Amino acid sequence: MSSAQPPLKIAILSESPADEAAIAVLAEVALGRQCQRVQPSLRARGWPSVAQVLPAIIRHLHFNTDAAGLVVVVDSDNSVVHLPSHDAPDYFHPYCRMCQLRAVFRQTTKKLPPANGRERVLRGVGVAVPAIEAWYLCGRDEQVTEAAWTAGLEIDRPPYTRPQLKYRVYGTDRPSLYLETQLALEAVRRHQGDLRRLENDFPGFATLAKDLRSWGQ
Amino acid sequence: MIASVAFRNFKALRSTSLALAPFNLVIGPNGSGKTSLIQAILQLRALAKLPLREAVADNERQPEGAEILFRFNPPFDGLEASLTCVSEAVCDLLQVTPLPSGEGVDDWAGLRTRLLSVRSYCFDHEAVASTPALKDGAELASDGCNLAAVLAARRQAFPEAFARFTAELFRLLPEYDELSLIERADQCVQLGLRLADGAELIPAGDLAQGTLCSLAILALAFDPAPPAIVCIEEIDRGIHPRLLRDIRDLLYRLSYPAEAGETRAPVQVIATTHSPYLLDLFREHPEEVVVTEKHGRAARFTRLGDHPDLPGLLAGASLGDLWFSGVLGGVPEDK
Repeated sequence: MSSAQPPLKIAILSESPADEAAIAVLAEVALGRQCQRVQPSLRARGWPSVAQVLPAIIRHLHFNTDAAGLVVVVDSDNSVVHLPSHDAPDYFHPYCRMCQLRAVFRQTTKKLPPANGRERVLRGVGVAVPAIEAWYLCGRDEQVTEAAWTAGLEIDRPPYTRPQLKYRVYGTDRPSLYLETQLALEAVRRHQGDLRRLENDFPGFATLAKDLRSWGQ
Repeated sequence: MIASVAFRNFKALRSTSLALAPFNLVIGPNGSGKTSLIQAILQLRALAKLPLREAVADNERQPEGAEILFRFNPPFDGLEASLTCVSEAVCDLLQVTPLPSGEGVDDWAGLRTRLLSVRSYCFDHEAVASTPALKDGAELASDGCNLAAVLAARRQAFPEAFARFTAELFRLLPEYDELSLIERADQCVQLGLRLADGAELIPAGDLAQGTLCSLAILALAFDPAPPAIVCIEEIDRGIHPRLLRDIRDLLYRLSYPAEAGETRAPVQVIATTHSPYLLDLFREHPEEVVVTEKHGRAARFTRLGDHPDLPGLLAGASLGDLWFSGVLGGVPEDK
């Protein structure tokens, strides 16, 4: 990771402080440089709330901060999984959260005039399938992949449930926020040297990493 | 501890019952029976202090008087406790009867000991900030008015538990790095928190309402000898929505001690709230949420986990928003 450059100012919007801590680590690895998070931190109350508050957050970051970009990561839960076919020009799947978040970014930023020395706040969107705990299990449990989840959904037999994933990561149904954060950080730090496994097993993460790498271009 | 409660003609609870879990978050409109549930449990405790009376003939009881039936989890599931009314004003008769099956049929003494430890709290920030007598630190008062004395007593008697308490306090409230308990010449104890950066000591009277209530809940969660049942009204009082996750974690620590690495017996928690933000945190465990509903003058309980369409509803909205919208029930009736 380059230490010559000054830290990049970014904002992270996710579903819990534990997720946010883990995403910050992964974002720094993908960007290849240290990041400084916008304060106060952003937070949403689960999926519908992320989509609802996102336009206001983009607008706030654009006009009121010097943030270079916004990283948004949500769980897919049982929604439609983003597929390469969704990336076709002008395609939009109404039940895919990746497509929905990208559309919100597109529609919000196109109306905004330049501010704070930049055209727009850069976009980094990731969707954890079916939950971010699946990312934390990457490399520890080979059965847990986005492909396995998608294949299971096709035959209406998901290979695992979200509570099962959480239990595998935290060892309890009711982890404290402290435990959740510690184990999330421990899990993502295993990928600090190399994100390829995580990108391969979880295209919803690969999309985020691709977004972040494009920021330097 | 308490497996179920069935109500007949008790205030607004005309005819309803509720199976209680280790942890219970009760939501619903004002006057729908949340506090009545807690009052019933406290009345059971109050009457359990007295010697059990001989059986009372039906014709000596108020025919339309209130009746509350309690059943218990093992090792007391062989007993049923009933509260009924001999006088018109209150449920003043406790009778304990053995059930055809279950444990503890002959152990009313054991059950009674557990029931006597039931505690109810409704923390008041002004009371929590007060300066109690040092001698009053045996157990936390219902409004938290002796918190400083309780903490001073624990520091003396349970230094390890006190150290865990303070470590958690500074993790939850990182703006502070010292808990001050000053024993004054008049044998009272004064609580304060020292700011981490400026080293300024903030006396309890100048601390925020939410900080004081969080301190009281924290003290409860780290009680080295907690009650069998803890009832807490309005657990979100004064607390920022982003800190509610920590408050939930503290209460879970009481109900699920093994998951927090503790070896003591679980505490049954019955907590009430009006916060949709707190409710959001129970998305994974809707079975822990009790919804009270009032139709006309009668109220009843339902378990959120029994809602037939909950997974479908949760796909489109947060639990808190669903509650506010009215689709889960537990909202005031239109005038």
